[in-house]
Amino acid sequence: MSVHGSIPVLQIGSTLLASIQVELRDTIADAFQEDILDTIAKTGATGLVIDITGLDMVDSYVARVLANTGRMATLMGTDTVVVGMRPVVAATLVRMGFRMEGVKTALNVDAGLALVSDLLARRHGG
Amino acid sequence: MPLQYYMEKLHLDEAELQSRRDFFEITPEDLQRLASLRSFAEKHTDVIIEDLYQLILGHPEAKKQFTDHSTLVRVKRAQRDYFLGLFSGTCDLAYVQDRLRIGVAHERVGIPPKWYLGAYARYLRSITDLISIEFGDRNDARAAYQSIEKLVAFDMALAMDTYMAAQLDALARHQAAIRELSTPVIRLYHRVLLLPLIGTIDTHRADQLMEAVLMKVVEEQANVIIIDIAGVPVVDTRVADHLLKTTEAVRLLGAQTILSGISPTIAKTIVNLGMNISAMHTKSRLADALELAFEIVGKRVTPLMKTSVSLEAAQE
Amino acid sequence: MDIRSSEKLVVASEDDVVLARRKVRLLAETLGFDQFAIAAITTTASELSRNIWVHAAKGSVLVEHIVNGSRTGIRAEFRDQGPGVAEIDRVLAGGYSTANSLGLGVSGSRRLVDEFRIETTVGQGTVVTVVKWKRAT
Repeated sequence: MSVHGSIPVLQIGSTLLASIQVELRDTIADAFQEDILDTIAKTGATGLVIDITGLDMVDSYVARVLANTGRMATLMGTDTVVVGMRPVVAATLVRMGFRMEGVKTALNVDAGLALVSDLLARRHGG
Repeated sequence: MPLQYYMEKLHLDEAELQSRRDFFEITPEDLQRLASLRSFAEKHTDVIIEDLYQLILGHPEAKKQFTDHSTLVRVKRAQRDYFLGLFSGTCDLAYVQDRLRIGVAHERVGIPPKWYLGAYARYLRSITDLISIEFGDRNDARAAYQSIEKLVAFDMALAMDTYMAAQLDALARHQAAIRELSTPVIRLYHRVLLLPLIGTIDTHRADQLMEAVLMKVVEEQANVIIIDIAGVPVVDTRVADHLLKTTEAVRLLGAQTILSGISPTIAKTIVNLGMNISAMHTKSRLADALELAFEIVGKRVTPLMKTSVSLEAAQE
Repeated sequence: MDIRSSEKLVVASEDDVVLARRKVRLLAETLGFDQFAIAAITTTASELSRNIWVHAAKGSVLVEHIVNGSRTGIRAEFRDQGPGVAEIDRVLAGGYSTANSLGLGVSGSRRLVDEFRIETTVGQGTVVTVVKWKRAT
């Protein structure tokens, strides 16, 4: 396990699991994006699960960084799933009119890992 | 409801008290005067309370409020405390709490404002008579009467505030109950939720619906929620927009939404309005929505083996 | 309308943005707002404070507990002497929703609060005032 700017990242098989527990300020979110893309490059991970169960607030900046991170990772060949979004966060984002496009979502870490597995299998025509 | 609750609900802090004392023109002189009238008050309390009760018992409708003897005793005691409280010489938080306590006691017994406002008026009349007898000098009498009147007015405002707060509370409880009934998110099956919508959906209700749906999806870790709108009379752009927002929010949580009960009218409205609801699963019948929901959670509905029928057939 | 409490914060760094939103969150929690409302007002504070820091480098946030009759609310004023917002009508209409961070912060926040007012002059500065009332339950 490693810590990327205070966000712990676990490697489970060829999937990375990042659990965001801290309050995200802009610089931490930016650093997270940098670090996770570097890690993907280094490890060749085929999946990324970003767990945001610990976030009770996600504003448009953080939401954009997360969505972009997902899209960037996908471009690098890493299927990304955001899991554990809280009701208050989801409600606030849709009310703001923020569209989190191009990012897959799942209920929790288990569901996220299963989805990433599925997506990988599909990619390989399985 | 406890005292503290009313104190907070009515924002009765030092600042608010000062504001009220200023507006009701209650000065330290008034309070001193009232304190000095205490023995006068004690001397005449019984007579004044008796006056009040003659008024009540002589009025058929008012009398009905006190059919219960224990209620009568309790209210008489409360009134006595109330009356003497006017001469405590204070008008601070403790005084207000005391007044609220008495108000709450009346509210609990269910006495509407007209009776206790009538009672305040009765006190003032009884006091006027007694003061003019006690205080020969006109200025003294007038000053005493005015101080009492100011404090009674102050108390009346508190009584009205308490009464209204209690009424609003009851109303809020009813509204909450209605909301509960109108937003029943049902656990249909493992990880499958159903929300049967009935009635008009205005912005306020739509907001609450979305919140209730999201909370339930996470609580149950549901994979899919069926929202049935067959019972919604009008589905216009605004309602469709709310449903779209809710669907998107549910998607962000990692679950799916199926909208069922799409009638020909609703289908026409949506298409004619040019709305893009491709992001949503939609069905006309709830049964079809249910089958799709099962599919999403990896289940299928299949007929049972008809063993009893084959036995009968064999016996024939 | 009464102002029950008032606090002014300077916003000139990322730390200040975090502090501003924490202050607003704390007030909302203390006043007993429901969790969805807390998220809405905290997010708004985050968006608008960030705009101050990112676009004007320095400004202030005034956070107030207000009361109007039986209603309790939070009013927050975000003030800066930055470049101002050009084409504010278009921004508010959501015309810059994806490309421009300022746009989404402002138009998005407007949908999260009950009252929203923006006064902006290009080259002089901006004042955004928002009010969120506690839901009457």
